[in-house]
Amino acid sequence: MRWHKTTMGLLAGLLLLSLGQISHAADDQQARKIVDRVAQLFSGKSSIATLQMQISGENGQRDLTMKIWTQGENALVRITSPAKDAGTAILKISGDIWYYLPKVDRTIKAPSSMTMTSWMGSDFTLDDLVKESDLVRDYSLANSFEGKRGEVAVYEYTLTPKPGAVVVWGKIVLQVRQANLMPAWQGFYDEDGKLVRELTFSDYKTTGGRLMPSRLVMRSLDKPGQQTVIVYQAVAFDVPIGAETFSLPNLKR
Amino acid sequence: MRSFVLLIKISWRNVWRNPRGTLLTALALGLGLALLLISLGLLDGGHEQTIANGVRFGPGDVAIQAKGFQDSGSQELLLPAQVVSTINEFLQTDSMKQVLLGASPRLLATGLLSSAANSASVTIIGVIPREERAVSLIPQRMIEGTYLSDDNPAGIVIGADVARKLEVKTGSKVVLMTQAVRQPGTKVKDVTGGEMQSTLLRVKGIFRTGIEAVDADVIHLPLPVAQTLLGVPDNQVTQVALFLRHEGDSLMVAKSLRKRLAGAPVEVLTWRESMPMLAQILGLDHAFNYVMNGVVLAMVGLGILNTILMRVLERRYEFGVCKALGLRPAQLAMMIVGESLALTAISLAFGLALGLSVEHYFATAGLDLRLVFRTGLPRALVVDPILYSRLSPARIVSSVIIVFIMATVISFYPALKAARTKLPDALKVL
Amino acid sequence: MSGRLLQLAWRNLWRNPRRTFIAMAAIALGYTMLLFVACLMAGLRWQMIENGTRLVLSEIQVHAPGYYPSRSIQKTVGGGKGTDVSALLGAITADSRVYAAAPRVYGYGLASASHGSSAGVALMGVAPDQEPKVTALNTLIVKGSYLTRLMPNKIVVGDKLASVIGVEVGSEIVLLTQAADGSMGNDLYTIGGIFHTGLDVMDRNLVLMPLASLQELLHLTPARVHEVGIKLYDINEATAVAAALEARLSKTLPVQVSAWPELAPDLADYVQFNHGVTLVLFFIFFLLAVIGIMNTMLMAVFERTRELGMLMALGMRPVQVIGLIMAEAAGLAAGSLVLGGALGAPLLWYLQKHGLDLGGATGEVVSVAGVVVGHLWYGRQDFSAYAQAAVGLAVTALVSALYPAWRAAHFRPTEAIRKV
Repeated sequence: MRWHKTTMGLLAGLLLLSLGQISHAADDQQARKIVDRVAQLFSGKSSIATLQMQISGENGQRDLTMKIWTQGENALVRITSPAKDAGTAILKISGDIWYYLPKVDRTIKAPSSMTMTSWMGSDFTLDDLVKESDLVRDYSLANSFEGKRGEVAVYEYTLTPKPGAVVVWGKIVLQVRQANLMPAWQGFYDEDGKLVRELTFSDYKTTGGRLMPSRLVMRSLDKPGQQTVIVYQAVAFDVPIGAETFSLPNLKR
Repeated sequence: MRSFVLLIKISWRNVWRNPRGTLLTALALGLGLALLLISLGLLDGGHEQTIANGVRFGPGDVAIQAKGFQDSGSQELLLPAQVVSTINEFLQTDSMKQVLLGASPRLLATGLLSSAANSASVTIIGVIPREERAVSLIPQRMIEGTYLSDDNPAGIVIGADVARKLEVKTGSKVVLMTQAVRQPGTKVKDVTGGEMQSTLLRVKGIFRTGIEAVDADVIHLPLPVAQTLLGVPDNQVTQVALFLRHEGDSLMVAKSLRKRLAGAPVEVLTWRESMPMLAQILGLDHAFNYVMNGVVLAMVGLGILNTILMRVLERRYEFGVCKALGLRPAQLAMMIVGESLALTAISLAFGLALGLSVEHYFATAGLDLRLVFRTGLPRALVVDPILYSRLSPARIVSSVIIVFIMATVISFYPALKAARTKLPDALKVL
Repeated sequence: MSGRLLQLAWRNLWRNPRRTFIAMAAIALGYTMLLFVACLMAGLRWQMIENGTRLVLSEIQVHAPGYYPSRSIQKTVGGGKGTDVSALLGAITADSRVYAAAPRVYGYGLASASHGSSAGVALMGVAPDQEPKVTALNTLIVKGSYLTRLMPNKIVVGDKLASVIGVEVGSEIVLLTQAADGSMGNDLYTIGGIFHTGLDVMDRNLVLMPLASLQELLHLTPARVHEVGIKLYDINEATAVAAALEARLSKTLPVQVSAWPELAPDLADYVQFNHGVTLVLFFIFFLLAVIGIMNTMLMAVFERTRELGMLMALGMRPVQVIGLIMAEAAGLAAGSLVLGGALGAPLLWYLQKHGLDLGGATGEVVSVAGVVVGHLWYGRQDFSAYAQAAVGLAVTALVSALYPAWRAAHFRPTEAIRKV
């Protein structure tokens, strides 16, 4: 009988433990699903987006409107306003970067390293605008907080780069609203745990069949007073885009 | 012959008839000569160091590269694999083993290095740590962390100014982005082509060479990593840098290699050809030296002339007596020349003693240039803060010979004057 | 020292004219050589400084405080609003030591030729009329012509850059840059001229264009410039003038004024090294002088043992004897200086006018400390060096005479008189 009790106890313990594991696993799975969804918010096999960018810094404020086509590795960005920049287009194909400059009506080739440098003086790089998010592929997930940050109830996840992932960050912290599972805030930290950039999401709307934040604000913490705001006006996903869109002649149009 | 030996003895004794004067003069001249030797040693040493440093921070005494690389610097130009093996074979031969200090195969490219804080464009050098350690100076200039090692494939070392710009330290993460090399045979439409590749690396160490162009631009990573990153086929490299025990062998080695590799699309360059600016700076310095040395020698010569001439002029009576007693003018002249040489010999004795001992000190302990240039080291000279003197025996011998020749020639005028002593005027005492 | 003594000293010197003359001649020749080297070294220093500053740097630069080292496009003189540029130039040239001043604007960008090849370049905007007074890049145009205000779209590039991106005079070129407001400044230009400096970094990277054109490209107002370059009548005054300008201009406009030693420390170091070498030669010359003078004076003293003994017996004090000997030595030195100077003058004149051709030894053109030096070395008068050598010689003479003088003073009159 004693033997029975001990075994029962053990079994019960094991059961509880495994239930706990299962619920953890469930938690983990849920977390992964949430983060995956966030990562996929801005991407698809292809996309066409119209957006407004407002760059504020020490030299005042600039407003740009642009249209971005992406498909796989290819991307086309065309600026539609203000008038002095309208028609400027950037094409990324086969690892090359081409600029079309309407003012002089010329197309020039730029070094591909320009994809990692500041886009038009903003806090985003060209890569940020056109590349697929690497959150899913390159980071492993941990549930770090649940509760209120400021006024909002969020799930907070800490994403740590997987060993070998080609990213410069030490960690990324993602806050997702509990209410609508939309991203609220993303912080980019260096390996010493210092916050280097932060991205704030807001104005959730349903566009292109998805609920997504239409307003993004990126701030670099070493340049106080400087920020870039992106407002998505229209987005469509997985629409067929002809290959000729990503070609040099199309760049000029 | 006997009279010749006698003349020498007499010359020697004559010189010592005025011991104080002779000693003083010899000391002063000796000091001048010592200075000449010391400066020759330091300048020669400086040259050697400049060359050595230039060579060791750069493409070695002899560099083998794909043809056209020197001009274009394009990372597309690589050495074919069989060339590399031919080179390796050649380096294994006995004659080469004697002169070779080390050989370092390298892959050169440009890329963008990014950290969380910033990015910087860099010159990428893929090296084999073991080989590079034996020859290059960068491994000896680490200020943080350690140099690359064969067992740490993802480590890189970066220049101090790169580290500062990227705000990274040892152990920090960085991402290196570069364009893969176009495979030969692919259709080339664009001028610069190739896929962009990125890789994650960790800063293993930070170096400071003191040369801004290097500290703000250069990173070293293990050769295999660089090759993978750049998609370089068949274990090719951009350059094989040879470091020799004696820079003087460069020309010979280059010639032999050119013969061996005749027909291959390569260029074999000595450091003078791969770093023409360095060769030019040294050329300028040499010209400088000749002017300097010429002036110093001339001054020493003047000192000897002054002394000998004055002595001649006040020994008219003595010469008159000599001549009256039967000494021939030619013998009298030779005696004067002998005295000049004797004085020179004594001066040289002092000069060599003082000069060589100071020079030896500088050759072993070196002259700390930081004491001389208080405002900081002249970057133009590219030398260690410690300047080592290098006075070759050949230099010493040639200097001594030149001084003797000069002393001989200079003494011709006084000798002539002595030989022409007119009798009986010279015998008039007053 | 009584005049009588000096007279006596001088006459004593010439009682043995040959000996005195020989000693003088030796020292004089040494002095002549010293003058020669000092002149040559001064010429070399001057050439290096000229070449280092006249291409692009200029002798003094005026910036907004904090412009270096970041060289941010935003940091224009006078801040975001800029300043009245012509007033600033006027204030600078008001200093009579200033020969000319010219404004500059800088940027970075991409230069692209019509068939796609592009290269990163450094952009420099200069005032076509004023810049040639301050720097001399306009003299190094090898093809085409220099900038002119009348053709704002004509720019000038280095020959290496031209060959890398494949352009020549008349070719079209696009310049793309990040303008001051962050937007993409771009415009079309024509290659008006190609220069060759011999310095790789300039020939490969520098694009020179009219100031107004670059301001337009960078979206800067005409009041905004990054720098004013200044040329002086006498470059040796650079540091002093820079300090004076900074003090005066800072009263109304925050500026930082730097002289070329700050801007080109490598060059400044080399100049110091050059000075050091000349000093070594000075030292060797003084050694020579010691030999000549001490020997001469020693002989002179011992020859006149009897005479000096008699003088002292008659009442001349030892101190006076010392004074006499020293005066003789000083006379010797003075004579040598005059002789050496006379011999040297035509040599110096030749060196300054025609120079020393080192052709074979160095090859065509050499680049040292980032500066191009030709093989023809011109001399330049360095009067302070000449004077220093002269003073040094005088001192050396007096010091060399100390021992003979001391010996002379210690003659015992009774013994000395009896010497044969």
